[in-house]
Amino acid sequence: MDTPTNFQQTVEPDLVARLQRGELAAFELIYRRFERAAWTLALRLTGRADVAQEVLQDAMLKAFERARQYRGEAPFAAWLRKLVVNEALMQLRHDRLHVIEVFDDTLAVDESPAPWMHADAATLERALHRLPDAARAVLWLYHVEGYNHVEIAEQFGRSVSFSKSQLARATKRMRELLQPQLQVEVTPCTIGSTTTP
Amino acid sequence: MHDRLDHDPMKYDPRKDDPRDPDETSLGAALRALPAGAPARDLWPEMAARVRRRGAVRKAVWFTLPAAFAAGIALTFAWPQFHRHAAPPTLIPVATQTPSHAATVTAAKNDLGALQASSQQWQAWVQKLDRDGAPLDGRQLTQAVALQDRIGLVDLQLSAARNPSTTADLWQQRITLLQQLGLLHLQPYLVATQRPANSDHLISM
Repeated sequence: MDTPTNFQQTVEPDLVARLQRGELAAFELIYRRFERAAWTLALRLTGRADVAQEVLQDAMLKAFERARQYRGEAPFAAWLRKLVVNEALMQLRHDRLHVIEVFDDTLAVDESPAPWMHADAATLERALHRLPDAARAVLWLYHVEGYNHVEIAEQFGRSVSFSKSQLARATKRMRELLQPQLQVEVTPCTIGSTTTP
Repeated sequence: MHDRLDHDPMKYDPRKDDPRDPDETSLGAALRALPAGAPARDLWPEMAARVRRRGAVRKAVWFTLPAAFAAGIALTFAWPQFHRHAAPPTLIPVATQTPSHAATVTAAKNDLGALQASSQQWQAWVQKLDRDGAPLDGRQLTQAVALQDRIGLVDLQLSAARNPSTTADLWQQRITLLQQLGLLHLQPYLVATQRPANSDHLISM
């Protein structure tokens, strides 16, 4: 599976061992290797460059300080990616950016052709960033990071149906945002909104 | 809790129980094709500085921690003694009451001064930990906010307190709350150095 966040890299065991001994030089090598991947993932999940920067640094610092907790049973990159996801979701909760919109719409099956197949990267990225925080994070975790609904529900501390409904609405919203004839505003959130704890 | 990283993601397909329709698959492909970004500037120097600063704070913490515990224990034992000194004399003959009472009030004032100085020291220590220490997680943050609220309440009561005994009690409460707040800020260090590798369900693998 190709991922733009590129957490599929292999980290040499001796480099991990040096990191676990607290060597700053080893940490720099790992930091530089994963900086873009971690930053991109954080940006996709939080939708804000300044928050992504904070997530990147906090997650990397945790990786350095908790390196001894890594036992090598899974790829180091996957462990690091998990730290980034945890940190990003924590930031969303902490900054109260994590607003879950309640859409005033029905989730009817849309038979029209998928507009993202013809959208360029910039348009797709803009649409992604216009999604509510929770919806965007769920969409990204599900489609790109390969999480299933049970895993997403655990990450958010919510139910599986929360994950499913956020995904369905995010998908519908993406469709609306990317269809040229509907790019005149689509109004979300007319019922109300709730903020997660 | 099920941890999705207790397996090799390259071998395990979590989607096998989670079928996706072709449209969804194409959305996934489109999202994965988005180009990776990068921070606007090189953040490593900041990261390295933060690591060094944290290392220095951690050393300071391990020097300070025994002293902090010792101070806490000393205060715990000293407090009843202090309380006896501060209590107004009740069975003292009237003829000798005035000088004894004056002496007690002076002692109480001195003790009050000591408590205020101690409170300031604890506060400075907590502020330093808050500024330079490890970030608190969500649960710790909630506890910290609750403790800060209680300190605020004690401050409010202190501003209205007139009785020296009550005032001393409140200063002691303030110190205790600051100690708890300080220990809360130390938890990430205790966790990082003492907790077994598999006890953190969020990040262990």
